[in-house]
Amino acid sequence: MNDSGSGNAWLSRGGTGSLNWPERLRRFPWSLLLLLLLTISLGFGVLFSAVGGEHNLWLFWRQIIQTGFGLSILFGVALVAGEKIYRRFAYLFYTGSLLLLAITMIMGSVGMGARRWLELGFFRLQTSELMKVALILALARYFHDRAKAGSQGWRDLGIPFLMILVPMAMIVKQPDLGTAVLLAGVGMGMIIVAGISWKVLLTLVIGFGASMPLAWNGLHAYQKQRIITLFSPERDPLGSGYHIIQSKIAVGSGALTGKGFMAGSQSQLDFLPERHTDFIFSVLAEEWGFFGGVTLLVLYVLIILRAFLIAEMANDRFGLLTVVGATLLFAIQVVVNVGMVLGLLPVVGVPLPLISYGGSSMVTIMIAMGLLAHVNLHSRQHGRSV
Amino acid sequence: MLSDEREQFRGDARRRLLLVGGCLAAGFVVLGGRLFHLQVMRGGEYRTLAEDNRISLKPITAPRGRIFDRENRTLVENIPDFEVVVVPELAGPLRMLLKRLGRHIDLTEDEIKHLLQQARKQRSFLPLRVKSHLSWEQVSSIEVRIHEFPGVDLQNQSVRYYPFDALACHVLGYLGEPHEGERKRFSRINFRAGDLVGKSGVEQRFEEFLRGREGVLEMEVNAVGRHVRELHRNPSEPGEDLHLSIDSDLQKEAQDALGEEVGAVVAMDPNNGEILAMVSTPSYDPNQFIRGFSHAQWQSLSTDPHRPLINKALQGQYPPGSTFKIVVALAGLAAGKLEPKEQVNCGGYLVKEEQRFYCWRRTGHGSVGLLQALTQSCDVYFYKLAERLGIDAIERQARRMGLGAATGVNLDGERPGLIPSRTWKRKMFKTGWFPGETLITGIGQGYVLTTPLQLATMIATVANGGTVYRPSLLKLQPDQSPEVMTRNYFSAYHLDVLRQGLEAVVHDTTGTAYKSRLEGNIRSAGKTGTSQVARHRREKSGQIIKTTNEKLLDHALYVSYAPVEKPRIAIAVVVEHGGHGGTAAAPVAKRVLERYFNKYGHSA
Repeated sequence: MNDSGSGNAWLSRGGTGSLNWPERLRRFPWSLLLLLLLTISLGFGVLFSAVGGEHNLWLFWRQIIQTGFGLSILFGVALVAGEKIYRRFAYLFYTGSLLLLAITMIMGSVGMGARRWLELGFFRLQTSELMKVALILALARYFHDRAKAGSQGWRDLGIPFLMILVPMAMIVKQPDLGTAVLLAGVGMGMIIVAGISWKVLLTLVIGFGASMPLAWNGLHAYQKQRIITLFSPERDPLGSGYHIIQSKIAVGSGALTGKGFMAGSQSQLDFLPERHTDFIFSVLAEEWGFFGGVTLLVLYVLIILRAFLIAEMANDRFGLLTVVGATLLFAIQVVVNVGMVLGLLPVVGVPLPLISYGGSSMVTIMIAMGLLAHVNLHSRQHGRSV
Repeated sequence: MLSDEREQFRGDARRRLLLVGGCLAAGFVVLGGRLFHLQVMRGGEYRTLAEDNRISLKPITAPRGRIFDRENRTLVENIPDFEVVVVPELAGPLRMLLKRLGRHIDLTEDEIKHLLQQARKQRSFLPLRVKSHLSWEQVSSIEVRIHEFPGVDLQNQSVRYYPFDALACHVLGYLGEPHEGERKRFSRINFRAGDLVGKSGVEQRFEEFLRGREGVLEMEVNAVGRHVRELHRNPSEPGEDLHLSIDSDLQKEAQDALGEEVGAVVAMDPNNGEILAMVSTPSYDPNQFIRGFSHAQWQSLSTDPHRPLINKALQGQYPPGSTFKIVVALAGLAAGKLEPKEQVNCGGYLVKEEQRFYCWRRTGHGSVGLLQALTQSCDVYFYKLAERLGIDAIERQARRMGLGAATGVNLDGERPGLIPSRTWKRKMFKTGWFPGETLITGIGQGYVLTTPLQLATMIATVANGGTVYRPSLLKLQPDQSPEVMTRNYFSAYHLDVLRQGLEAVVHDTTGTAYKSRLEGNIRSAGKTGTSQVARHRREKSGQIIKTTNEKLLDHALYVSYAPVEKPRIAIAVVVEHGGHGGTAAAPVAKRVLERYFNKYGHSA
């Protein structure tokens, strides 16, 4: 096997080669798919209630179609491509995504006060979603190529930081703080696993803390408002505090067992804003209570644990880091979204993976899950998998 | 070698994975903890907040109780009041609609402009009040064309109506918006914007009785306040009706008899304390409080020097003048210090401590006994009697006749009057009691103050033979017995002597109220009084200099009861600055008594 990269990738004896189709299906992580399907079904139940049952059923059907599309992408990403394809095209994909981001900045269409979409005639492309996947692959490729024993110092991290910061800056400008923070988290997690020296990590953490006031000044007024509101929503109960207050009321009033399917007054009587998209967790928590909320969190934790198992068994650094990136993309979205709904984090537009209504985020998550499956498929230690 | 290196890599990666996994785990633990905190620990609290969000309570008003006189004539009732509302959401172009509507209900251009401004401020599915207090013509004119006005609705609310206008206005009282004190006083009532509360009269005193209990409509609303469905309806309980002891005929007669004079009349049943008429002038029309005042109207009402909003029957305090001689006479008889036949010489004045105390008749009454002293209201006789009794005995008897303290009638704001005593004097002026002060107290002057209601109670006590009933504006129910405040045990002889004197006041040709005796053979008894407002200026001869200043003119008083054989009505009249009691006050009483006997006949 001839690795495309230079340097000493730690599995130079290569992967599984080309697998035949029955083998690919056999090696597919069906338990992961099962967990995903369970979560998605739960999501359908909540969404049905969130869109108001019969009245907006088209939204519900659309989400089913989008989910089906997402699942086929998952299978495509996992099964069709050969072992090395993603690594090979990682940089090209990254460069392309960066270009599209730039184009979006210049001529993207404006929605809800932000410039996030690129009109492609038949559909609207949210280019920042592409960038999430592209960044994961590009960083994985970079560290795969330059793998060396021990920790990596400043010199090794210059380029990865640039790879993260450039798209981040463009997305912040859109403005889309949620996605930018997500990219930072995913990138940072990957760098840690890739082997950053502890000294550098510590310096970065301290530096990050010190630069907060500076970052604060760079925020848009509405972004500042959201952060202020987080800590005292009662200051502006009808304005920017409204989302947080109503969401907390919805969640809290669900109590232990919830109010029952379609019976959440906060959800059904329009008190909850964005209840089928970013605030859908409130609907779940109101109607199914603590039990419902914890059930979903447990499903997420199981998915993440399953993903870590895949990471652990990856053939090479590219595989390992891809899995780490994809898992973080998923997990950080969960934590940020639920944290926001529960009034722990500022209101940033991050959807709840697998549950929130919306095509773009569904596709991105499915690609990430497809990458997980793909790595699992080509893991030589597959026999150990659950 | 290669394998070792690989294992080293793997080990390192595993540690680092654990770090990232640990951070995520910490995140999930925080989320779970927060979920537990919000839902399990504070779930009840948030459940309440969610219910408050969801449920909107709409009050269902309770009709206020009506008020009737003793013969079930309606004194206060509720009448429908129509207003036009429009729901802008359903109306189409609002300006056009208001313009068309304006032709039927007289909307000015300014009013339309104001309404359009208001419409912009409120939610378009909530009704906007266009005009209130519509006339019947306006109501019917809209009613027949209602289909031409989309979103327009006629709403009917009930308002207070006083069919006899100013009749008994001080007894009935009026309604107004509650102020802070009233909100505290009726803390059980949940006042809403636009709610009215009794401000005076029985409307005030029986507020909680008349008010009833408002019902509530529980409605589910969505986030913008739109009504989703009715959850529960708790109907209102109407207020209870009030049956007054007032006789509208007597009330009207007394009010007419006072006419333009400023004063008060109280007529009561001496056998149970029921108030048959209570008039205070000048009066006002309580309906005006419903329709609303112009600024000028309110100004003139609230700053009128004759204070039309005050109920002088229980808030006006007047020196009782000679009507107080009844009390002094009874005190003398009860103390055994008065022999009715004993003759006293009146020379027109009495000298006490080098000071002259004049009789109203400058020329004196000559030799008088109790009968003549009462009939002609001889002051010297009562100076001497008071001197003999001392202030303590007079004070005691006055208090036993219902004077000197609020009677406790069922109206608010009653004044206590004043019966002076040694302790009172010391407290007020830090000086002792002077004997001269006893003398003028003996003729009801000086410090003594009484309300017309107290005077009526006093004369009713004489009429019924000694029982002081607590005056009441409520008609006694058949199973109710009147409330007794004090019982005096006068000897039949003493009572007889006194009553003969009072009868002679009316029926003796020399009596001060002779001109006010009743037609037919109904005999009444009474006592006039003329109470000094300002110290009279006298010429050297002692002759009073007639004043032309109305404010300094004496108050005219008269107390009376009839028929003398078995009294059924007692009455007190005060005419402010009316001059002499016999000429200004007694004729008012005469008209009321005549009306009474015309209506009820001579014998019960």
